[in-house]
Amino acid sequence: MRGHGHLLAQHVPGSSLIHRTPLWLKFLVVAACGTASFLIVDWAVSLAVFIVMCGLFLLSGAGIKRLLGSLWMVTPILLAIGLFQWWQLGGPTAARIVLNVLVCVVAASMLTATTPVQDLLDGVVSLSKPFRRFGADPERFALTIAVMLRSIPFIAGAFADVRDSARARGLERNPRALVLPVFISTVAYARQTGDALAARGLGEADEAPLSQSRE
Amino acid sequence: MNSISFNGVSVRVAVDTGDAPKTLLHRFSLELTERRIGVIGANGSGKSTFLRLFNGLVAPTDGTVLVHGRSTDSDVRRVRANVGFVFTDPLSQLVMPTGREDVELSLRRSVRNPKERTARAEAVLDRFGLLRVADQSIYELSGGERQLLALAAVLAVNPGVLVLDEPSTLLDLRNRELLRRTIAGLDQQVIMSTHDLDLVLDMDRVLVVEDGRIVFDGGAAEAVAHYRALCEGTAVELPVEGLPR
Repeated sequence: MRGHGHLLAQHVPGSSLIHRTPLWLKFLVVAACGTASFLIVDWAVSLAVFIVMCGLFLLSGAGIKRLLGSLWMVTPILLAIGLFQWWQLGGPTAARIVLNVLVCVVAASMLTATTPVQDLLDGVVSLSKPFRRFGADPERFALTIAVMLRSIPFIAGAFADVRDSARARGLERNPRALVLPVFISTVAYARQTGDALAARGLGEADEAPLSQSRE
Repeated sequence: MNSISFNGVSVRVAVDTGDAPKTLLHRFSLELTERRIGVIGANGSGKSTFLRLFNGLVAPTDGTVLVHGRSTDSDVRRVRANVGFVFTDPLSQLVMPTGREDVELSLRRSVRNPKERTARAEAVLDRFGLLRVADQSIYELSGGERQLLALAAVLAVNPGVLVLDEPSTLLDLRNRELLRRTIAGLDQQVIMSTHDLDLVLDMDRVLVVEDGRIVFDGGAAEAVAHYRALCEGTAVELPVEGLPR
């Protein structure tokens, strides 16, 4: 993978205040940002929260490059959402929605940048333990998070690769030449990941083999 | 019981066009007891399907596969715990962003204590000379380092059998030699498919697969000679003892 999407979900070692903050508090901040996105109705407040979150991110020492990288990744989709909302509901509402999403992105990036993945997974396991009584497997919750964290940079990297290939063939303006290969490689990646997890005995659901050979 | 047995195994899959099922592996029986077993054959000959039978990634349509006495059908969880599998492309099997985290992921179920898990992961990485790159992104590692890391992540849980599906395909000569030395030093029973005929010469027993059939089963040098003849179109069809054709 030529793209640098892999840097997006990687932990940045450090000893900042954010690094030392307990995991439950960081989880709480992410959850609060998600909840706030439904409650905040003024775009100026959204902007203020966004600035505060960016400030906290930079305080962690993860760097402005990492921050911009996280934001850049969601720019195309937010641009589309923002334009649609502007057309439908006007500028202030569009700005509020886009800023609220950006707040969530920054909060999530801060969490992954300042928390080693294993600590994050241990936290998810602890949080999901109460669901055991309903038959849930906390380790599978954690594995799902791990695979998700791995998949985001993969898709970003695949998009960068496909975009370069399309450019080389003069097809950079053809959406089909961009979207289809990313879609196909993502499906192939999902299958490979499933095989790899099964082969390593991770996330086993039952005793059945992964792919039955059927006539 | 350190043998792997295939009894009347065949693999067929349905095809989308509604035609008759496609046979990926024709019926065969085998008993594998050697420590180093090689599998060679052309692309699409059925090597990967054969290897995937070892840990239940593919289930036989007919027959049974027993790995150290356990069925890959009825006891697949235990079989997988005992059979490590390394894919051609290490990136397809490394799940975590860094090597340390990936090895720790392998150990999550067996080592609950985080500090102990980290120590165990470091010991495994150190054994493969990967400790210095433990915290680097897996995308920043060289091809050889990635393949060794994939191997380390699988061997972290100490399986009894190691299956490698063309592990040297993406490696340059230096990394191939490194992989070769590493595999030679393992305690596990190793089953490896490869196109690298030099690597095959280290094996105790080699199977040649052609069009879904095991067409040769014997010593490494003879197997390589048979495979070369097959590729050149001069091979004489030999009856293979114990293998229904």
